[in-house]
Amino acid sequence: MRIEVDRHRCEGFGMCEEVAPDLYALDDDGNLQVHEGDLAPGVEARAASGARVCPVAALKLVST
Amino acid sequence: MPATVPVSAVDVYDPEVVNNPFEVYDELRESGPVVYFEKYGVFALPRYQEVREALSDPEHFISGAGVGLTKEGNAPIIGTLLASDDPLHATLRAVLSEQLSPRELRKLGERLQAQADALVAEAVGLGTFDAITDLSARFPVSVVADLVGLPEEGREKLLPGANAIFSTRFGPERDDIAQFWPAAKAYVEYIAASCNRETLAPGSWGAAVLDAADENRLAGTPPAQSLSAILIAGMDTTVNLLGSFLRILAEQPQVWADLKADPSLISSGITETLRIESPVQGFYREVRGDVELGGHRFDEGDRVMVMFGAANRDPRQYENPAQFDLRRNPLDHLAFGYGLHGCVGQHLAKMEARALLTSLLAQVESIELAGTPEQRYNPVLRGLVHLPVRVTPAPGGVQ
Repeated sequence: MRIEVDRHRCEGFGMCEEVAPDLYALDDDGNLQVHEGDLAPGVEARAASGARVCPVAALKLVST
Repeated sequence: MPATVPVSAVDVYDPEVVNNPFEVYDELRESGPVVYFEKYGVFALPRYQEVREALSDPEHFISGAGVGLTKEGNAPIIGTLLASDDPLHATLRAVLSEQLSPRELRKLGERLQAQADALVAEAVGLGTFDAITDLSARFPVSVVADLVGLPEEGREKLLPGANAIFSTRFGPERDDIAQFWPAAKAYVEYIAASCNRETLAPGSWGAAVLDAADENRLAGTPPAQSLSAILIAGMDTTVNLLGSFLRILAEQPQVWADLKADPSLISSGITETLRIESPVQGFYREVRGDVELGGHRFDEGDRVMVMFGAANRDPRQYENPAQFDLRRNPLDHLAFGYGLHGCVGQHLAKMEARALLTSLLAQVESIELAGTPEQRYNPVLRGLVHLPVRVTPAPGGVQ
């Protein structure tokens, strides 16, 4: 699984970062940076939690 | 009339239900994932999962036919950010999404805190005061009116106007709501008269709306409509959030003590207040196409109430949902809606609440009720009209 960001939707609320700061981070310009590529099985659940709290549903986990 | 879903005779707009809706919500959730309100001829989703699913599917559950109950109420809001679908919705949302982004709002942090500190100091100086009229109702009005660039004169019209708009646009036809139509009209006229460069401060959000109109970025919609949408969405809702949180603090000394001991719990407390006392209790969507949700197949044109307030107290989602848990931090609550139409101003609302609570914790030693809190009758907004409290200043706290 990997994290997919809908860039048109993301408005930089940063709630994903609050839940899983090692997988999601807003950079100094407020743009969301996410863990690139395959997620290790151990972090998938946290990646999903981060995606779940996105208030505008801009994040999802997709199969690689 | 649908045969497949439970039919309910309950009137969620009845003043007694509005005053204390939670038992009714419990019954509705238990009766099924989809219920039908026979009084109004609409469906309702009282559980968390289905509300979230409907909000996640804006192609089948559209906003562009209005998000209030009646045709008459919806007519004036159709085509606004709240009551539109993409691509119009995306066009309108883009006008201020930059200004409302956390990145931009960060720059306001110090100013907001200073405003909150001054208002709290004034209230604390009174000792006993009304935490709604003396505090919760003042802060968002001054914050949002400043950001929009409105002159001081006329601001007293904003809160009563927003209340009238919420009542008439989203509620049922009732005599006690019909009385608000003239106030709603006066409010619309006030906004229309204010929506020009002579009135709105340069560099303000209001000026940004006028820029968007000049540059054809409002898809031909009137700028006053966008201005009004920002003002209405950004005030009464936040007033209710602040008032509800203050009520919890005045009624539950342990919550206050825990917050005093660990102010880093402020954000979690705000999130939990949004969950348990959702300022907007419910909006509508209209069905397009063929869609099944909660085991029910909806027909094109069905009106469906998304019950944020009921969903946020669903025991399937939150353990002991009626209990305020300062440490719960329920970030997936639906008080701001969710998905495409998720509240664009939610970060600002939370910043305001954080600033106010930070001031209170610094300046106040203890807070308690000094009278009976009085609920306001508004068909969709949950909040107080009066909250008498008595506070003891913190030693050296008041500036």
